[in-house]
Amino acid sequence: MSMPATDAATAAATATTTGRPEIVLKSSEFRKGRAEGWLELERLVTRVERQGIRRLSLDELQRLPILYRAALSSLSVARTIVLDRNLLLYLETLSTRAFLAVYGPRANPINGLRAFFGQELPAAVRSARWHILIAAITLLLGAVVGFMLTVQDETWFNAFVPSGLSGGRGPTSTRADLYNREIFAPWPGLVESFGIFAGVLFNHNTLVGIMTFGLGMGIGIPTIMLTAYQGLPIGAFVALHYNRDLTIDFLGWLSIHGVTELGGLILFAAGGLVIAEKILFPGRYSRLENLAMHGRLAGQMAVGAVIMLFAAAFLEGGFRQLVQSTPLRFVIGFGVGALWVAYFTLAGRRQAR
Amino acid sequence: MTLAHDRTSDFLEGGRRERRQIVTPEGVSLSVELADYGERLVAFALDLFVWFVLMLVIVIAIVSAIGVSGGSLIAISIALFIAFMVRNLYFVTFELAWRGATPGKRMVGLRVIDRAGGPLQPSAVVARNLTREIETFVPLSVLLTAGKTASGGVDWSNLGIAAWMLLFAALPFINRDRMRGGDMLAGTLVISLPKRVLLGDLVERKAKFVFTHAQLRAYGAFELQVLEELLRRQVTPDAMRLLTEVCEKICKKIEWTAPIAPADIMPFLREFYTAERAFLEHEQLFGKARADKHAKPGEEAAR
Repeated sequence: MSMPATDAATAAATATTTGRPEIVLKSSEFRKGRAEGWLELERLVTRVERQGIRRLSLDELQRLPILYRAALSSLSVARTIVLDRNLLLYLETLSTRAFLAVYGPRANPINGLRAFFGQELPAAVRSARWHILIAAITLLLGAVVGFMLTVQDETWFNAFVPSGLSGGRGPTSTRADLYNREIFAPWPGLVESFGIFAGVLFNHNTLVGIMTFGLGMGIGIPTIMLTAYQGLPIGAFVALHYNRDLTIDFLGWLSIHGVTELGGLILFAAGGLVIAEKILFPGRYSRLENLAMHGRLAGQMAVGAVIMLFAAAFLEGGFRQLVQSTPLRFVIGFGVGALWVAYFTLAGRRQAR
Repeated sequence: MTLAHDRTSDFLEGGRRERRQIVTPEGVSLSVELADYGERLVAFALDLFVWFVLMLVIVIAIVSAIGVSGGSLIAISIALFIAFMVRNLYFVTFELAWRGATPGKRMVGLRVIDRAGGPLQPSAVVARNLTREIETFVPLSVLLTAGKTASGGVDWSNLGIAAWMLLFAALPFINRDRMRGGDMLAGTLVISLPKRVLLGDLVERKAKFVFTHAQLRAYGAFELQVLEELLRRQVTPDAMRLLTEVCEKICKKIEWTAPIAPADIMPFLREFYTAERAFLEHEQLFGKARADKHAKPGEEAAR
């Protein structure tokens, strides 16, 4: 590693020569008194990097910031008086490492995750309530348009619903088909349920939802368009069942996971809108600075959305066909929805003040 | 002096690192080195490998617990879920516990820092890592699995979406700070933090050769630091040949007429280095810093 011995040997900084005044190398003098402290700091920082800050004794913990500040001040001085490249680079790296050790994340992972889910995520969602409202209205508008068009002419259904999503349902389906094979289809058993769960992870809806978020970087217009586009198949499905007098049963069937899933999709879109807003209206900051300051909110909302989609997949795979009564489906669907709303509006208010 | 560093690296290693300034809460600006694309890719690959091995162990454990006959669908979906949990917890946990480094990043020598120089917040770590899911894993898994529909054909719309989303993975290539989407959102930066060792001072106190100020005025900080790097290299026949060449050039430049014995080349260069450094540091202290041999005293090098 480092060589204090060599250091001492060459530390005599005066070059005495016959017939010349003594030259004092300020940089060598400077180094002589301080190298000990740097090396001690380096040892401490290496230990913090390897084993974490908890392994330091109380004395060492007290030494760390003192040595860190001393190294910073050494660096400032060295920049003006030293031309030794190795020394300058060493001090620069050591200061950065010590800086990261002193100002590293304070929380342990458990506390970090607890703070995230306990306070930051709900706070982020609350702060974006207008974006959420806009996203929800957009989705609703899409659904209304899908409904209006499909109710009149069921051939629209094929245009709105991707083949992967329709699962054989369409204008040719009869009421009995939908009633027996879809809404009140028997529980397929544990294995099939898990299959649905796995399938939802790569669901078309999920992908488009994530896209609405990512497209926020494209100043929001694609987000709005895609969100409306996501509403279309929902409206088309409702219209299909409306024409066969199955509206209530279908809505119950849909609500058990749909409330959570649509919530997740809305959250994604709202996150995209937050990004778009921060890029479009940076205020007195540069766009990138503004994105960095507020982008965390959008990222947190996307995380919330992913979790909601997971929950929706779980409900869809596990509960939808297990519960065979429409009122009970409504209760579960909207009960879970109410839990989400309660979590996002109430959680973490006290600590956040 | 960062300028002289970079020029020296450029000259000797044929490349410099991109640098960014962060200001610590104490008000000192630190210059950090941006991580290279290659380094980040390697670190990510290493992390993926660790994750893959972890998953392999977990999946084997599940399969042996449930039994293969129990239905592959259950195993697959549980595995998918655990894979999701494990990789997210893996990145978040390590970056929080190891102060901005995962095992892969540590092996390569990378760290995640706050772009503004503040402490790295847990929320930033969570945000930058869970966006990775959206940026990389979802499009990748779609490209790998869901490109095919149930009927065996290719689902072009899904593939298109995935390809489109993978464009986000290209974000680091189109911004100056090489941030991916998650870094932008979280306000973080990935830097390279090489371990550097404090080497002994090259100053030679037993001076045999005497140089005049006129002779020392021939060079500037850049040449001094190149000479320092050369002197710090291991003494091999090759290095010796190079040093001999350098010695001849210096002699010519400073008009040193006395012959130098081959055995004296090292001492001569070290003493010249000492004298030159003493001279330049002294001049710099009096406001006459010299960046290189072309600069007039007191003038910064042309940027």
